[in-house]
Amino acid sequence: MNRAFVLMLGMLCAAAGLYGQADVPILSGALAFKGSNTGGVSAFQPELVPVIAAPFGQHWLIEGRGELQGFIARQDGTTGPYSGQFFATFDYAQVDYIANSHLTITAGRFLTPFNVYNERYPLWVANLADSPIIYTIGTRTSGSSNGGMLRGVAVAREKWTLTYAAYFSAASTTENLQAGRSAGGRVGLFLPQAGFEIGTSYQRFLQNGDFNSSGGYLTWQPPQIPLDVRGEYAHSPAGHGYWLEGAYRLSPNRDMNTILSRVQAVARVQQFFKGTPNPVAQLPTVNVNQYDLGLNYWFPHNIRLNGSYGRQFSSAGNANVWNFELVYRFLFPAWPGGSK
Amino acid sequence: MKILALVLFGILLIACSLSALAEPQSSSAPKQSKPASPGDAMQADDGERRFKENCGRCHNPPDSISPREAKAVVRHMRVRASLTAEDEKKILKFLAP
Repeated sequence: MNRAFVLMLGMLCAAAGLYGQADVPILSGALAFKGSNTGGVSAFQPELVPVIAAPFGQHWLIEGRGELQGFIARQDGTTGPYSGQFFATFDYAQVDYIANSHLTITAGRFLTPFNVYNERYPLWVANLADSPIIYTIGTRTSGSSNGGMLRGVAVAREKWTLTYAAYFSAASTTENLQAGRSAGGRVGLFLPQAGFEIGTSYQRFLQNGDFNSSGGYLTWQPPQIPLDVRGEYAHSPAGHGYWLEGAYRLSPNRDMNTILSRVQAVARVQQFFKGTPNPVAQLPTVNVNQYDLGLNYWFPHNIRLNGSYGRQFSSAGNANVWNFELVYRFLFPAWPGGSK
Repeated sequence: MKILALVLFGILLIACSLSALAEPQSSSAPKQSKPASPGDAMQADDGERRFKENCGRCHNPPDSISPREAKAVVRHMRVRASLTAEDEKKILKFLAP
């Protein structure tokens, strides 16, 4: 907790050193409140996710994201008084050197680039409040890596681009900065005119008995209709599975000019098949199927309300999964005068 | 100490929010901005197309953003979404003409 706070302050101070240049740092992120009921067990999670980004010069960027999260639930699950715990983590704190379109060199702590859910779908972008079951495959121990990464656009054409990311991470058990010793990468093919992307990921986990994880993903946002399709498959010795999600905005296009156009219906199906149990994997030890239906509504001023119902089927017992989440997405200049 | 850290961070956040609110918003929404010349208009159109193809897959344009903020936002997203230098330039032109 203390380290995360000091790191965040350190990044702000580093950004402060850049104040006065033409490039003003920004403070962005989200403030959220989530309520859930899974199999009769209720929990509430307030969360603050600040993001700071400070560009300097033509090639450099310092960026970081933290999470201050509470978890409030009854002491005995379904009975007893509510009690809360608070956690702080540092998702990333990285320095990027953007050499050109083909190469960006990243050093520090960064989000592990395995498939795309971990990097691209923070809580203000994800269509449903719950992470997919297979999310932990390829992203453990914490979803973040400490080390170095190379990434960029390998080939850019008008009709397609080929992107890549390759990284190495050192192990860390430091509070708030946990990471596994691992190496891996991702390759993606994006067809911008069709709004379609497909890619594959690989990770070699170099501790706890070395093992491989692999996966694939697709996203599709056809330009003609406000449909958003996302899906991932991932495999590891501890299990494998997939999730596939479709979201449709009740609008003739992607604008939000009417009340109906601010509504989005979401459906997700996911299946998980157990493998050899491994505590590092943080995966279920039984097969699980889950089906979710949800609604999103965007209020003005970047506030989104999400509600969803899911039914989970497993040999450990079936359960109803209810979620609601209110998210406020903010973006400010980090210093006075930046909005000019 | 944890509570103190949270309180200090909260104060910092509120201070930043207030300073931002206190500043007059000099820029309008990207969609409402008028380009200065036909060349600018073409660049803005190309920027809008690139925004829709890349950024629009996950989110809409921000309500209001200044040129100085836009640079940080687009640089951040260039790394995160693997944009090219050309994408960065054109999208920046669209967000903050």
